[in-house]
This record gives sequence, C-alpha cells and structure tokens, in this order.
Amino acid sequence: MNHAPALEVKGLSIKFGDFTAVDEVSFTVRRGEIFGFLGANGAGKTTTIRILCGLLTPTSGSALVGGLGFEDGGLGIKTIVGYMSQKFTLYNDLTVGENLDFAAGLRKLDPAYAKKRRKELFELIGFHKPLSSRVSQLPGGIKQELALAAAMLHDPEIIFLDEPTSGVAPASRARFWELIRRITGLGKTVIVTTHYMDEAEQCGRIALMRTGRLIALGSPEELKKSAFPGPMAEIDLEGSDPKAFIPGLQKAAGLLELSPHGMRWHAAFSGKAAMDAALSALPAGATSAVIKPSLEDVFIRLVEGVRGGWAARRQAASR
Amino acid sequence: MPVSSFNFYRAYSVARKEVMHVLRDPFTLVLALGLPVMLVTFFGYAIDYEVKNITLAVSDRDGGPAARRLKELFSSSGYFRLVETGPGGPVGMLDSGRAAAALFIKPDFSKTIQGGGAVETQFVLDGSDNAKAGAVIGYLPGIQRAGQARLAGREIREPFSFETRFLYNPELNSRWFTVPGLAAVIIGLLAILLTALTVAREWENGSMELLLSTPVRPLEIMAGKLAPYGVLVLAGVFFVYLVSRLVFGVPFAGSHFLYLAACLLYVTASLSQGLFISVVTRQQQVAMQLGIISGLLPSLLLSGFIFPVESMPPFFRYFTMLLPPRWFMAAARGITLKGADLGELAVPFLALGLLSAGMLLLALKKFKTDLE
Repeated sequence: MNHAPALEVKGLSIKFGDFTAVDEVSFTVRRGEIFGFLGANGAGKTTTIRILCGLLTPTSGSALVGGLGFEDGGLGIKTIVGYMSQKFTLYNDLTVGENLDFAAGLRKLDPAYAKKRRKELFELIGFHKPLSSRVSQLPGGIKQELALAAAMLHDPEIIFLDEPTSGVAPASRARFWELIRRITGLGKTVIVTTHYMDEAEQCGRIALMRTGRLIALGSPEELKKSAFPGPMAEIDLEGSDPKAFIPGLQKAAGLLELSPHGMRWHAAFSGKAAMDAALSALPAGATSAVIKPSLEDVFIRLVEGVRGGWAARRQAASR
Repeated sequence: MPVSSFNFYRAYSVARKEVMHVLRDPFTLVLALGLPVMLVTFFGYAIDYEVKNITLAVSDRDGGPAARRLKELFSSSGYFRLVETGPGGPVGMLDSGRAAAALFIKPDFSKTIQGGGAVETQFVLDGSDNAKAGAVIGYLPGIQRAGQARLAGREIREPFSFETRFLYNPELNSRWFTVPGLAAVIIGLLAILLTALTVAREWENGSMELLLSTPVRPLEIMAGKLAPYGVLVLAGVFFVYLVSRLVFGVPFAGSHFLYLAACLLYVTASLSQGLFISVVTRQQQVAMQLGIISGLLPSLLLSGFIFPVESMPPFFRYFTMLLPPRWFMAAARGITLKGADLGELAVPFLALGLLSAGMLLLALKKFKTDLE
C-alpha cells in the first residue's frame, strides 16, 4: 500500500440543508494510530466517520483517506477501509458463516482468500464456536467482535469503529479494546468514537468535537495539560452544607472550573497560590487533595465549556 | 481504483442472503406458500357467481294442468326450489326472507292457454341482493322459451328471437373466469408485500450501513433483492396455474410464452412497487400496511377481477389505467380464455411494459438518491 497518512482532512464540512453537521474540521492521522473521537451526541462524530468511510460526500473541504479522495464517489475509499457502525450490522437470523460469506461476497473476495482471512480473524478475536452458530444466539460481546471481523474481512488499512462498545458488558469492553490494540499492532489504523472516558484514555490521540467543530486535538496527556495548566483539587465536604462553601468558592480568584463528582467536587485553579488561598476557607472536617485531572474533567471544561456548568453535565450524563 | 459497473457476483451475494432470510423466516414462507393455496381454495370453491337453490314461493290461483306444468318447469330447471306458501302469501314470504322470489299464477291461466290466448304471469323478485337478482333474471328467458311450446302444446313462432352463444366460456363457468385472474391478485399482493419488507428491514436492523460501507452498487442490491422474490412469486403463479388446469379444468387457449411474459412484466412492476414502498418508509410496519393496501385493493377491486372495469364510474375507469393489475388481468384472460396473440393484446402489453419500466426506474432512482 502507499505511504500516505491514514487520514489527511482539511477544512472538511458537510451540510444537510441549513444544518451544518461537520464544520471546517482539519486533522491528520498517522498510520498505526488509535485515534479517538470524543463528544456528546450530535457533536458530529458519526457524520465525520461516515464521510471518511465514503458513505457521505463532503459539501466542502478535502479529505484523503489512505491517499484516496472522493473523485469516484467514495468507491476507492470503501475498498481500503473497514467500517463498523453504531448499530449491530450482522444478520441475527443468519449463521456466522453466512454473515461472513455475505460480507465477502459484497467485496468480491476470492472464496479461498476469504476463508484464509476468516481463520486469521477468528484467531485474532478468539472465536471458537462453529460457523453454523446462529448469530442471534451469541452473547453481545462476541457479536460485536464478529461484526468487527466482518468489517475486516478484506484486510482494510484503516478501520473505523463507531461506538463499538455501546451496550456491551464492561468485561467485554475491556476485551474489545485489547483487540483494538492488537489490530494497531498489525500496522492498521483504528479510528474510534466513544462516549466512555476510560476508553478515550486508551487512544493515542483524541479529537474533541462539539456542534460539528473540532475543539481540541491531542494525546490524553496533552489535552489535560492544555485544559488545566494549574493544579486540581478534589474537595470532600464530609457532610457539611455545600451551600455554605460552594458559592464562595465559585467566586474565588483563579478558579478555572468547578464541578461535582458524586459527593465530591473537582476544582481547577490557575496556579498553586490561587488554590491554597481558596482552600484555606474550607469548613471544619472537610478535606481536599490535589489530583490529576481526568479526561472527564477535560471533557467538562472543553466540551461543555461553562464554568461550574454541572447542570449541563448532569443532563449529558443522564443521556 | 477501478470503478466497475454492475457486478453479477455482488448481486448474487445479495440474492443468496435474501434466500437465507426467506428460508429462516416462517412468516415469509407461510405468506409465499399459504397465500396462493388460500386464494385458490377461496375463489375456486367458495365463491360461485352461479345462483342456485333460489327459494320460489308460488301463488297458484289456477290449479289447472298448465299451471302445474309451469311449476314443474321452474323446479326442474335446477335453479329454483319451490316452497310452500305460508300465511301472508308470497309477499309475506319475501318480507320474512323465507323466499327469494315469488310467482303469481292468475285464476284462468290454464283456460286461457288452452284457448290459444296469451296470459301474463307475475314474477316478483327480492331486489335487495342485486347480484342474485341479476342472475335470476338471466334464467327466466330460458324457462320461458322451454315452456312456451310445452304449455301451448304446439310450436309457437315468435317474430324474432335471440340465439345466444357464449364464446370462450360457453357454460359461463365462473371458475374459468375467476381462477386465471387469481394470478393477478397473488402477484400483486405477494410481490409487493414481500419486497416492501426487505429494504425496511435492512434499515431497521442497521445492516444497511454494512451494505453501504462496501463497494456494492444500489442496482446490485436491488437486483439481488428482486430476483429471489420474483422466483418465489412466479412459483405461486405456477401453483395457481397447475390447480386451475388440473383441479378446475380451466382451459388454456393461448400461448404459455406470452402468459409468462405478461407475468414477468407484472411481477417486475409489483416488486418495484414494493421496493419503492420499502425505500420510502424505512419501517417494516408502515411498509407492510402500505403493501397490503396498495397490493390488495387495486388487484382485487379495480383490476376487473370481480367488478368489470367497463361498469365503473368514469373516474375509476380512467384511474385503473394507471394500475398494472388491470392490464395484466386483461392480458391474462385474453391469453387463457380467448387464446389472443400479442397483436390483439398490444394495448395491455404496452401499458404493462410502460408501467413496470416506470415503477422500476422510480424505485431505483429513489433508492439511489437515498443511499448517496
């Protein structure tokens, strides 16, 4: 294959009528990367991925996928990428073998080659059940792995996974991510969207999206540093009334971000001096500790973008 | 990257997958196999336009030999069953529904006839069921003709008379008329219903995303989806053909090849219609309802299957011209009963060809724009 970057996206936009789903997005993805898209529902993650898989034609801007453009209506792109959509794409009423044969047929794979690939992929995902198993009777995690196998049957260079672990049990999620790392270990590029912060932490780089725009891009560490240049404290009020302390803290000088995390609060400051000054007023019994910000804190700060905006966050969490 | 156009292998892959779905789905199988059997049984045995056993109340105020002979004529015709007139007279019998028709014989009926005179006899008919009434009226001239000579005891020369002969279906056997038309209903309903579900199912499952992410073309998906259902529907038509020939003895006067051509055109139109519904609705339940309505009503009611197109109000008469089943019905009856050739059926075939091509293009266009 050629040595062009996996993705080279410049000023990519797509409009549906008046609605701009993806707005001037630019980024580059190297070969072999795990590249994550993080954002709320409707942020444009799925639409971006669907363009890059050749399913949608961009309204403006350019995108090269493995060095290929959209001149042929995305057909060339479709031959070198694998795509696993949010919805479960296999047929429940067919067997494992029939599903994979169908995927191979759609891509005109030589039957002997398809068989060889099937064996390799079964090895990769650790699938040992007979080919004649009905898909409907398999557990959710295994189904998802099979869907991935179906998307990789033609040995694509670049694999797009749109929320691959939504609705999958936590243990299966961990297994699936192990699988993603093994795939990139083979030199493939994996582009993945997720809602889960712990999954985003496992990406090499993350693109944060909000309302169709790319608002931050970098490794998890880089994102944390740029969002929180100063220290972050976790405050545990230990039962004292938040109303007595929190409103004062919100007005404290140098506070960047304050948000509730369960019974505790995370407060980010511009520097150590500002933090010490603000926390000196802590009520008796309350404790505080300096913590490393999580991606969730980054997400709250950058995506929701409002200081102390826990109402918005609660809404997002309940979704 | 090479951009090949229509590829048979990809279309075949889609078709093979559709066959698997059909084999696994009891509903589709029952529908495809059960519907033709049900319709043939229903229309072949239960529905009979010939009216028999008409209850006839007689008021005989004559009692003479001629009156007796007249009554015999009715009862021996095979259509009428004479019933005893209860209190309230024949009209009371009609009112209460115990008789469907009544015959009034005047007191001096026998005497007048023996004297060579003419006498009127009143026949009263329950007109609330006009299909039945129409059939009964049809029987009267025959009884009259048969009776005149016997009652008068001599040959009567009428100034003129019609000698009616029914061509193509000499006995006016209603099954001959109905069963060939059944193919229209079966194709219409089955083809539309089966395909109406296919694309909607892919959207609902999310498997459409899988199809779209591969280089498969809309035309290949469409061909792969239409072919298996086309075969299934034609199998249903073949079944009806066998039953109508072997069980009901319906003649087949024309060319089988022409009949197959008509079937193929109509099948194409119906499958495309189903596909169009599926593409537009994207939901199985809505698609199913639309499929039943648009598949059953036109083929059953507006095609001429039961109600003649010629006797419809002008609006419907013209409206039916847009419906493939109407043209297929004309072609099917023409071929099976009359043995008509392509020249004689040019109009139905042309209309059928245009409508199916139009429907196919419409479905394909909608499908393509939807996917791209």
